[in-house]
Amino acid sequence: MASPAQKPKVLVIEDEDNIALALDFLMTREGYAPDRIANGGEAMARIRETHPDLVLLDVMLPEISGYEICQSMRLDPNLSDVKILMMTARGSAIERRKGIALGADGFIAKPFELKELRDEVRRLLGQGG
Amino acid sequence: MRVRLQLFLIFVALALAALAALLAGLWLGYHHLAQAGATLAAVVRSGVMAGFVQAGVVSGFALLGLMAGVWLLLDMRFAKPIDQLAGDLRARVHGDVTAALPARQALHLGDLGPAARAASDSLAQTRSALAEAVARETARLSGENARLGALLADVPAGVLLCSADHRIVFYNGLGVGLLRAIGPAGLGRSLFDYLHAGPLQHAYGRLCATGDADAASDLLCSTRAGARVLAARMRLLQPEAGAAAGYVLTLQDVTADLNAAARREALLVEMFDRFGRPAANLATLIEALPKPALPPDLREALQGEVARLGQAVTELSQRHDQSRGEDWPLMLTRASDLLDGVAAQVAGSGVLLSQKAAPLLLHCNGFEVIGLLALLVRNLPARRFHLSLEEDGSDALLRLSWQGEVLALADLEAWLAQPIDPAMPEISGRAVLAAHATDIWPETTAQGAALCLPLRVARRETARPDPVLRDVVYDFDLLSGARNASVAEARLDALTYVVFDSETTGLLPDQGDEVVQIAAVRIVNGRRLKTEVFDMLVNPQRKIPAASTKVHGITDAMVADAPPMAEVARRLHDFAAGAVLIAHNAPFDMQFLRRIEGQIGLRFDNPILDTVLLSAVIWGQHETHTLDALTHRLGITIPEEARHTALGDAIATADAFLKLLPMLQGRGLTRFDEVLTQVRQHGRLLKDLN
Repeated sequence: MASPAQKPKVLVIEDEDNIALALDFLMTREGYAPDRIANGGEAMARIRETHPDLVLLDVMLPEISGYEICQSMRLDPNLSDVKILMMTARGSAIERRKGIALGADGFIAKPFELKELRDEVRRLLGQGG
Repeated sequence: MRVRLQLFLIFVALALAALAALLAGLWLGYHHLAQAGATLAAVVRSGVMAGFVQAGVVSGFALLGLMAGVWLLLDMRFAKPIDQLAGDLRARVHGDVTAALPARQALHLGDLGPAARAASDSLAQTRSALAEAVARETARLSGENARLGALLADVPAGVLLCSADHRIVFYNGLGVGLLRAIGPAGLGRSLFDYLHAGPLQHAYGRLCATGDADAASDLLCSTRAGARVLAARMRLLQPEAGAAAGYVLTLQDVTADLNAAARREALLVEMFDRFGRPAANLATLIEALPKPALPPDLREALQGEVARLGQAVTELSQRHDQSRGEDWPLMLTRASDLLDGVAAQVAGSGVLLSQKAAPLLLHCNGFEVIGLLALLVRNLPARRFHLSLEEDGSDALLRLSWQGEVLALADLEAWLAQPIDPAMPEISGRAVLAAHATDIWPETTAQGAALCLPLRVARRETARPDPVLRDVVYDFDLLSGARNASVAEARLDALTYVVFDSETTGLLPDQGDEVVQIAAVRIVNGRRLKTEVFDMLVNPQRKIPAASTKVHGITDAMVADAPPMAEVARRLHDFAAGAVLIAHNAPFDMQFLRRIEGQIGLRFDNPILDTVLLSAVIWGQHETHTLDALTHRLGITIPEEARHTALGDAIATADAFLKLLPMLQGRGLTRFDEVLTQVRQHGRLLKDLN
């Protein structure tokens, strides 16, 4: 977890530019330090390199799915403190269960309400509602 | 040996014996002379020898002539006619000769000739009657066969009949059409020449294992050529003793339906995806617009509309998600059957698999799910697994666990790309998951690792319901219109009967006893129809004495919610409309029906037969005519649990009547009025009958 002086680091792993732009804006406005990558193949290297406080992880990604990234993160003891909030366009109950079972800390379906996303991010970063 | 030859040999023996006796007599005479001192020369000279020879020759010829005459007489008058009669009888018994025996042939054989002619005539009549009966039955069966064939031809599904070794022994028009689309159709060919064996063998194995003769299995199978998907229902045939059961397979080509459903599904998925993303982006982007860019009320309106769009997409997507898989013809599969199937598939591959299944019925294609799990077990490095299936909210969770490392998702995805059956390369593990609208994932557990697969639950497993009678009910004779409208003149075997029985609070209807149960069965054209049964409890609106409950087992609690007698009598009246009523000791049961007639405004004016009286017609009044005695005499067994239940006794009475029918006909009583005349001679109960 980042110290009070530091902005919490949020890594957005999302292949769609528009939603990545919107999330970047939102995270900035909320006082976080957002970073973004669009390709699942690069995700693990960037996560290990930057060690973010939270990963906003899309399920459907090129090369490697969000589920695989989630499982890899949870199998890496150095990343156990990194929170994972998965995002999916479908949000079915089975997708949610699969994500949570693979180690995600939260799951949010698109289109999400901004308040819902904001509350979920705050909850995961221990900032309350 | 023929009689004539025997007689001839007897007379030859007699002739030889007579000649021998003659010669012995002559020799004795000569021997006497020799003892008196006469020499042979003296005997010859005295002419005594010539006398001996002459006497011997004359008497010898006389004896032979006499015997020949007697032999000839006996042969012509007895032996030859007997042999001829025997030959003629054999010709009539073993050959196809139907002419009457000639009367003159056995003129001197006393009563043997007339007796043989009577036997021959009787044989001819019996044969003629038998041939007529066989011809009639053959014609009837041919007609029924043709009608059933026509019906099967019109059934809107392919119907195949297969032997236990999966060879086709029958197909209907649509069935052969489905087969011809794959290859040349041919009786006796293996079903697996046309369809992939896996799902069919799986279903056949499961059906044989249930031991339930009425069980049926729904399955999806695919063709070996042409990539057609067929929805099938398999039902075992009753096997002959000691033989494996064949089965009936009804097939419907659902390829077009499934393809349409798949296209619709893909369209919906794409629609939600393509609407969902921009809707999500819009909401976020509007939020990102600088405050002065829009007047507050306009910003609020825009945000409200985008929020509604987002909510609509989310809600519709969730509803679509819940209904996914409903288009697919997934069948009900027992959880325990599913796990047994996996164990059977991996048996012999060095894998130890323990299992535990909750009593659930699952909405899944058993063959595919078993194939998927077997595929994963084969790929996983562990050799010892535990497979559990438990209730999980409204779904079921299938968990394949082992001691060891958790499985990497990348490996799992690679395995899911493999076909579940090498013979069916188009069905991959991923395709199975898509068909079931589910997914599978690895988990770390306290004991090691697991794979989790949610499946839809149809319902909690209960005891197997009573099988629905699947007898095809038909009587094509009803189509003939030849049934006699007049009951009195109708043939007994052409009438419709309703055989009924009632259980009561006691044996004294005039002292307040009431009916507690009535049951009835129908007999049409000499057959008891197993599917046409009337069986109702009746609320007697009084206490049932314990002594009566002890007999029929019906308690006050059992009839508390039952309809009253008036309603049950009305329904029985409808059930028995147009039929002859039959009961064992009918006056007793009729008394209860008669007294309710005024209340319900209906009359039980059906003709009535009483099996007590019919029994008296056959065996006389001195015999015992209780239902037990009658059924015992007729070899009918009433199961102990059915005795003194209205339905059990009604069935026993009906079966007894069906056995009495040919006995009545054997006495020349073929029409209803003829039986009634006989019955009237047994004066008892006449008041109540007709």
